[in-house]
Parts: sequence; structure tokens; C-alpha cells
Amino acid sequence: MNILRYTRAWPLSLCLALLPAVALADDAAPPRSPAVLAQPALISAKAPRSVLLAITRAGERLVAVGERGIIVLSDDNGGSWRQAQVPVSVSLTAVQFVDAEQGWAVGHLGVVLRSQDGGQSWHKQLDGTQAAQLALASARAGGDEKRLKDAEWLVADGPDKPFLDLYFSDRRNGYIVGAYGLILRTRDGGDSWQPWMAHLDNPQGLNLYAIRHLDGALLIAGERGLLLRSRDDGASFQALASPYEGSFFGLLTTRRGGVLAYGLRGNAWWSTDQGDSWQALPTGVESALSAGLELSDGRLLLASQSGELLFTTPERLQVEHQRTHEGATVAALVEAADGSLASVGLGGVAAQQPVTPSPLSRNSL
Amino acid sequence: MKRETPPATPAAFDAQSGNLLERLIFNNRGAVILLCLCITLLLGWQATGIGINASYEKTIPAKHPFVVNFLNERSELNGLGNALRIAVAVEQGDIFTAEYLDTLAKLNDEIYLLPGVDKPYMKSLWTPTTRWTAVTEEGLDGGTVIPDGYDGSPASLDEIRTNVARSGEIGQLVAGNFKSSVIYVPLLEIDPETGKALDAGLFSERLEALRDKYQNEQIRIHITGFSKLIGDLIEGVGQVALFFVAAVLIMLVVLFAYTRCARSTLGVVCCSLIGVLWQLGLLASLGYELDPYSILVPFLVFAIGMSHGLQKMNGIMQDIGRGIPAVVAARLTFRRLFLAGLTALLSDAVGFAVLMVIEIRVIQDLAITASIGVAVLILTNLVLLPVLLSYTSVSPQAAQRSLQSEQDDLAGKARHPLWRLLDRFTTKPWAIGALLTGAALAVLGNLVAAHLQIGDLDPGAPELRADSRYNRDVQFMNANYAASSDIFVIMVRTPEDQCTRYGTLAAVDQLAWRLEQLPGVESTSSMASLSKIATAGYNEGNFKWYELVPNDGALGAVQTRAPRDLFNQGCSLLSLYVYLGDHKAETLARVVATSEAFIAEQQLPEVKFMLAAGSAGIEAATNIVVEQSMQAMLYWVYGAVIVLCWVTFRSWRAVLAAILPLMLTSILAEALMVLLGMGVKVATLPVIALGVGIGVDYALYVLSVILARMRAGDSLSQAYYSALLFTGKVVLLTGVTLAVAVATWVFSPIKFQADMGILLAFMFLVNMLGALILLPALAWLLLRPASLAQDAPQAAPAADAEPPAASLRTQP
Repeated sequence: MNILRYTRAWPLSLCLALLPAVALADDAAPPRSPAVLAQPALISAKAPRSVLLAITRAGERLVAVGERGIIVLSDDNGGSWRQAQVPVSVSLTAVQFVDAEQGWAVGHLGVVLRSQDGGQSWHKQLDGTQAAQLALASARAGGDEKRLKDAEWLVADGPDKPFLDLYFSDRRNGYIVGAYGLILRTRDGGDSWQPWMAHLDNPQGLNLYAIRHLDGALLIAGERGLLLRSRDDGASFQALASPYEGSFFGLLTTRRGGVLAYGLRGNAWWSTDQGDSWQALPTGVESALSAGLELSDGRLLLASQSGELLFTTPERLQVEHQRTHEGATVAALVEAADGSLASVGLGGVAAQQPVTPSPLSRNSL
Repeated sequence: MKRETPPATPAAFDAQSGNLLERLIFNNRGAVILLCLCITLLLGWQATGIGINASYEKTIPAKHPFVVNFLNERSELNGLGNALRIAVAVEQGDIFTAEYLDTLAKLNDEIYLLPGVDKPYMKSLWTPTTRWTAVTEEGLDGGTVIPDGYDGSPASLDEIRTNVARSGEIGQLVAGNFKSSVIYVPLLEIDPETGKALDAGLFSERLEALRDKYQNEQIRIHITGFSKLIGDLIEGVGQVALFFVAAVLIMLVVLFAYTRCARSTLGVVCCSLIGVLWQLGLLASLGYELDPYSILVPFLVFAIGMSHGLQKMNGIMQDIGRGIPAVVAARLTFRRLFLAGLTALLSDAVGFAVLMVIEIRVIQDLAITASIGVAVLILTNLVLLPVLLSYTSVSPQAAQRSLQSEQDDLAGKARHPLWRLLDRFTTKPWAIGALLTGAALAVLGNLVAAHLQIGDLDPGAPELRADSRYNRDVQFMNANYAASSDIFVIMVRTPEDQCTRYGTLAAVDQLAWRLEQLPGVESTSSMASLSKIATAGYNEGNFKWYELVPNDGALGAVQTRAPRDLFNQGCSLLSLYVYLGDHKAETLARVVATSEAFIAEQQLPEVKFMLAAGSAGIEAATNIVVEQSMQAMLYWVYGAVIVLCWVTFRSWRAVLAAILPLMLTSILAEALMVLLGMGVKVATLPVIALGVGIGVDYALYVLSVILARMRAGDSLSQAYYSALLFTGKVVLLTGVTLAVAVATWVFSPIKFQADMGILLAFMFLVNMLGALILLPALAWLLLRPASLAQDAPQAAPAADAEPPAASLRTQP
């Protein structure tokens, strides 16, 4: 089935071969901006049951983001939800709050949103059209032939590339990462962004799915086993020797300095030395792992997209299984303020997920 | 106007009296009988060739823009092809057993061999097209759900279980509870064996044979799909013949009980049946077929024929009772009642004919077939019946009995309590009471009728009963599979090969999301929603890629693996499926309004959004047409009836007295529909017109006698009493028997026939009560001898209708 590998969403190399004239002609005039970038998200009774892709906490509040610019908030640990005002209608893929008020969400069409009131209202800081222009300006200043060409393509393609994850260390400093190796950095809470692709050892432009901070270092995980690390506050990211050739979809960093990189086909790899060496976690599941969480009691929890919950501890890397209620799919997980577990997925939010393994698999307790 | 003394012998009767038509008929009685016999043989032979069919196209408003769009695009709407879904369910355990899969395989193979099945597109767990896919490091992996080396062992059953889980068929081919799976059977339009259109009735019978063969305690089989529905309808239509027989028997019994005269009873029934036969023969000759709607017309024709036949027979019988020879009695009755009967039948025919304004084929067919039937009755029941009775005469005892009340009256004995009761409505207090009650009912009825809904209100296939096997099968499918039987489809035309352009799909997606906000809309599906899932799929299944990405290349790539029901071969037509929770008119109207608002504001010059296909789309169009037609139809039918009444009575006051009770009936019928939860739909709309058309018969017969008597100088009470004895008791008799006869339809397996039966029975009864109670009360209010003299200084045609009783009395 190798042929399908080439029918992926963006066969860039194929486009380069077939359509150079069209794309170059478009260099100066970017394509018309899609309406979803300017269309406020429709307030919908179906919002909590829509496709939701990420969930986090802003203080005690739960904030979940997903398709059509939907952002829903819960102040009762997932019991009830209300929809926030959002200026765009694109799928949002990741969300982070650095405190109870300040947060960012990223998503498709290169969108970055910021909230300063705990998620109740959002404004757009960046979109794909602007990001491409930034990349072009930065590449022109840099003078690198290949980077300039890439940036020109970025502009010509229009805002079709998503940001897939973000990491902010505080109210001012953060990174956003996305498809085709896109990475931008801000020093002023997102008011201005610097394209950061040049600082990465990612020559193939692989998708970047996750960025996390780990004990003074920054880690990035991505497509086809890509693992990158920076120990100089982001000035340069070096590729790590990867234990796996498939894609990583997420990184779970623990308070005690361990990290789990997880992704395709139930693969999860554990490292206690900032990624120098990796040890396989035998998960026993076949579907892709989409979410990881360090629970307040120190246990680690992974979830597969098809709704399997995997409990483990850093001390003994053995997995105990549980399933989400009604087989809810999982895109992301969060521990609510009351210690209960909320998940989001294709069917929307699902609060009160089980926080203990099923009795059958609890052989270690 | 001259009054005749009835002659005691035929010879004493002036054969040259009466008008031309009367002389033509009654001076050539033998020829009339012979002619009718020939026609009966000819048309009877023709009638044997009449076919029964049920066609979906005929039940939809073919000229409404929605339907025009649907019919234009139909050949390219892949998802709306005619397909059956056959769910094979286990009672205990799950479907992952060797026995179940074995049964499924056998059934699958037998269905595969049925003529008319579009074999390459048939799908079940056993077809090679049912595959699973999984994302691996290398890309996508896949295979058939039932593995090549399947041997029924627990290991291979486990493999199937795993494959089903990753096939994406849960909710499609396999129920979420793993207790059933579906065989999806697309059907061809043309049966390759016969080269003709697929015979839904025959196909349905074959399916039933398979159901009988494979269904047992362990295995239940549920079948849904349009052809099955049509098959069940045709099966139900066959049963209507039984109702017809029942109706004939009921009338025979009631009539004989009333007259105690076998000759005249048979005469009336035979003439009515001959009318039905002629009608069927004419329809067959003209190339019409009976469908589930028009199959009820023979009933109506028979019932109307009985009503008029009874009037004729009653008149003749009373004359014979007075000692007049049969041939003269028949002729005098013809002279007195022909015009009233003709007017009444013409009103009926007009009542049917105005249904032509509704542009839905079944209703128009109903209008034509019923008009033909009623026209035929003019010959059989107004002409043939009197001629026939002039030969057969009636039994003398019966003739005497028929005059009992009149003679009692003349002899000064007490009047029959019922006639006495009815007669009171011509007196001031009772008339005022009746009028006030009528007015109160009208007001109340109007309040209730304000809630009258358009369209079908019950879930499932509205043609059949909620508890019919078909609708229970639909319920099973809806409960176990991600399928809705109420689908509204919006068609989107794009330039050739551009159906997956981002701008187009983004617009489709936006419309879909707007529609999903509406109450009653459960979900939507389109190329746009598929593209989001596919984008995630092409990106290693990662949910974060769930978006309609603005990249035409990527969106075009989705096409290669997309199911064909979302777009056409040339990629120039998209279908947006809107799955509804019900097909109530307000739900459909909301979807239509939101879609039309969206279409009005959308700005893609090369893309055309079109309403509407799918069961709910067509029903939305039908509802719109029905709603628009309802007012028009009522104006037409009342207009026609008013004109005919005026021609008959030549008095506006009399027209009012005849029409107002009909209006009350119309209002009350609408209120009844609200109370019974019936909507105005293709089946009930014609009933409203029929009720008016048939209802006016009663008023015509009663009022024409009253008017004639009053013009002759009788008081209202005397005139009404004469009318009761002459035509009124027949009105009572026919009202009740007709109501009972059509009420048998309530037992029809076809829901709309039952609805029509209830409504018609109600209208027959209320019209009868209106003619016997409200009409005399209105006459008290409106008809004064003085005003009548003003209205019609010359002899009105209705004067011919004066009862013979008059001639037995002393002239004033």
C-alpha cells in the first residue's frame, strides 16, 4: 500500500514537479483568504458534542477546543459547558494556559488565538497568510536559497497548513509548531512572531506534532520518528537518535524529569536522560496514542484514539488497561480541579472518565 | 305549472308528455336496456384488463422546482438509487458464530442471484468489497473483513471480529451491538430478464419467500427500502377488494332491511355495480391503472350510485304504493328527480374535477377517474335504474310500507317520532338552538382547526401503519444503524471535474453546519465532511488533521477513495445529505428556509445549490404544493357548488341554506384531523373536496322538495315534513350506510386509506346531520314564502321535484 504514502495531504515534491509555473506566477499575489479565517464561530447547542481536539485547564476552568473554531468552557469540572466567542471558524488543534487568564490556542490555516480572560474571549494573533509572509521576509533577510524557495512555496500555497502544538513557558515566551516543519517563536506573548525553521535540524520538513519543556531543555516530536532537542533555550534544535521509525504524536514530560514519546500503533518510548536513550513501553494496543497525562498522584496515563486508557508508573513500566465510557474516542485528556478525568474526541467532551484500571488488568495493586 | 292526476293504468298515461329526454328514454325502454347491456358487456370485458400499480413519481408534485431539480439530476444521484437493506439479526449471542455467518452467506448468495440486483455493488460481510484498513508505519494496510482462509474456527472468528472493528462498517454494515449485519442490495431500474421496469411487487414477493426460508427462532430478518415499501403497498392494495365486497354486502343488508323488497334492492345494487364496471372499463380503455389512491374511487362511485339509486327507487316505490303502474311511476319519478339527481351528480363530478388544480399526479388521476365514474352514474342510476324498475316493479307490500308515514299523516295519526323531532327544527326555538349550536361548533372547530398541520406527522413510512412490519423494520434499522429514513438532499452543481474545489466544499460545509443547528436535524454528510475525515486518514489517522484544508490538490485526492453517493462520475454534482429526526412539516420548512436563505447569499458564480432530493426533500415540496393547493381547491369546489346550487334553486337564500352546513362540515373535518393527529397531505386533501361535493347531494335533494312545496304555498314545517317523507329518509339511510361502508377502510393496512376512510365517514355523517337539522333551521331563518316569490317569480326547474304527495292533497 505504499502508493498511499504519496496521496497524503500535501505531496509537496509532486506539486513541485507538476505545477511550477502556476505557483511561481502566484508569488506576489497570495490566494484569496478563506472565509473561515474571518468568520466568527457559530454559537451552537451542539458545540460540546462536536469534534474537539484538545483540552486544558485555565485555573479551575476546563477549556476545550476543536472543529469550526469551537471553544467550550466548564466551571464545574465538565458538568456543564458554554461556548466562548471566537473570531475564526477553523479547527483548533492545541490549547495552553500559563495561568488562569492567559492562554493561546493554535489550529488549522495557521491560526493563533489568544485569550486574556481565562478563555471567555479570544482574538486572532496570526494566520497562515501572515505566517507565510513572515517566513518569506525572514528567508529573504537570511539569504539562504533553499529557505527562500520554501518560503515562496509557503506563500503560494496559501494558508493551508495547520499548527499542531504550542508551548509557552510564561506570558511572553512561547513556540508554535505545525505541519511541514513550521515553527515560530514569540518573545512578547504572541504580538510578534519569528519564523524559527532555520534553527531546526529538520531537512525533510517533517510535521512537528509536539513541543514540550523538559528540565531545562526543549523537546520536539514529529513525523517518522522525528525527535529534536534544544539545550540552549531554543537557539538550536538537534535531531536525536530515534528508537522508532513511525510518527510520534505527543510528548508527556513528568515533574521528575522523565519523558514519554508516544504515537502511531500503540508505540510509547520512555527516557529519563532527556532523550539520549529510550526504552519501549509495552502498551499492548494497536491504535495510535493521542494523549498523555501525568496524574496528580504521579501515575502516568496514555490514551489511544480509539478510547483505550493505559495506566503506568515511571517506576515500573507496565501498563494496566481501561476503556473510556461508551468507547469515547480520545484526542486529549485533562485532570479536572476535582481530580476527575475529562477527555475530548470525535464525539466531543466526555467528563468523569475512569481514573483507575479495570479490575481484570489490576494485577499490581 | 300543471299538476297531473296519476293515471291508474299505463294506457291512461300520455306517452308524449314530459320533456324530450324523458320521451326518448321511456318510449324506447327496450332499446335503452339493450344498449346498456351491450355497453356493460363491452366495458366489462375491458375492465378485466385494468392493472394495479403503485408509482412513487405519481405521488409527488412533478412541476414543483424541487422535484424538477431532483428529476433532472436523478441519474447522477448515486446515493438515492433504489436500494434495499436487509438486516440479518441473531436473537441470542452475537454475529461472530460459524452458524450465523453460514446463514448470512447462503442468504447473500440467493439474493445475489435474484434478477434485478445490481450485483457488482451489492455489499455484505461476505462481499469482497467489504474491507478493513489500518494505518501502519508503511502507510495503509488492508484486506477483506472475512479473511481468505476463513474456516469457521474460533481463531478465524476472532480475526473477523477484529477486522469488523477496523473496517469502519460499525453502524453501516454491522450493528453497534454486533447482533445483526446488513446485506445492502442496490437494484437496477430495468429487470435484465424481462427488459422491463423492475416489478416491485414481484421482487418483494421473492424477498418474502427468502424471509420465510431463513427466518427462525435464532435468525430474524428485517427488510427496508423503497421497492419493499412499494411491494407491501401493492400487497395492501389487493386487500382493498375485500373492503369493496364488505361494502356491497353491508349495503345489501341495510337496504333489504329497509325496503324488504329483493327486486328493488338488487336493482339499485346492480345498477351501482354496473356503474363501477363501466368506470373500470373506461379507465382500462383510456390506459389508466389503479393505484393505492384511485383504487378507492370505485367505492365512492358505488356509494354515490347507491345514494342516488335509493332516491329513485324510493320515489318509484312510493308511487307504486299509491297504485300507479310501475312504468308510469318510474317515469314520474324520473321527471321529478332527474334534475335534482343530475345537479347532485354534476356537483360530485365538479367536486372531483377541481382536484385537477393540484399538480400531483395521483390526485389528478383520482380527479379524472372519479369524474368519469360519477358521469357514468348519470346513465346507470338516473336512466337505467328507473327503466329497469319499470320492468321489474317492486314488491307490493314494500310499496305499501313506503307510504306508511304519509298515510298515517293523512289519516291524522301521530307522526313518526323521528320525523316529529326533525320537524321541530323548523320552529323558532329549535331553529335558534340549532343555529347557535352550529355557530358555536363553527367557532370551536375553527379554533381547533387553526392547529391543522401540513404533511405527515407519524414516523416511518407514512404510507403504512406505524405497527406494520415494514415500519417495525425501519425502526430496527434506525435503532441499530446510523441510518435515518428521513433524508433531505441538497444538490450542488459545479463545473465539470471541480466538485472538490475548496471554495465549493467550504460553502457546502457552512450550509451543513447551519442546518445542523436546526431542531429536528440530526446530522449531515457530504463530500466536505468526508474530506475532513479523509484528511485525518491520509495523515496517519491523526485526529488533529480533522479539517477541510484549503488545498485543492489534497481535496481532489480524497475523491479516489470516496463513496460514490457523495458525488457523480464527472465530479460536477455533490450531494449534501441532511438526516432528520422526523418528517414533520415544520422541520422540513425550517430546512427549506435555512437552505434558501443560504443559497440567496452564497456568492460562488459557478456553483449552483439546488433543493431538493431525498424522501424528505420531496416531501417538503409536496407539503408546499399541498398547502398552496388547499385554499385554491376549497375556493374552486365551493365556487362550483354554489353555482350549481344557484342554477337549481334560483334563490340566494336557498344557496346559503345549502352551503352553510357544508362549510360547518369542512371546518369540523379539519378539527377532527387535528384531534386525530392527521396532517393535510396527498391522501387527505382530496377528501376535503370530496366531502363537499358529495355532501351537497343531501342538501339538493332535501332543499329542492322544500322549495317546491313552499313555492306551492306550504308552510316551512309542512314542506320540510314532505321532504323528510319523500327524500329525507333516504338521505338518512344513505348517510349512515355510506359512512359505515367507507369506515371499513379503517382496516386497510395502508395508513392513508384508513385516514381517508375515517374522514369520509365523518363527513358523510356530519353532512347528513347538517342537511336534516341545520338546513331546516337555516330555512326557518332565510326562507320566507314572500321572499321566495320575489326570488323566483317564474317556475323554477326545481318545481319539477315536487313530491307526488302534493297531488293527493287538496289544493290550497
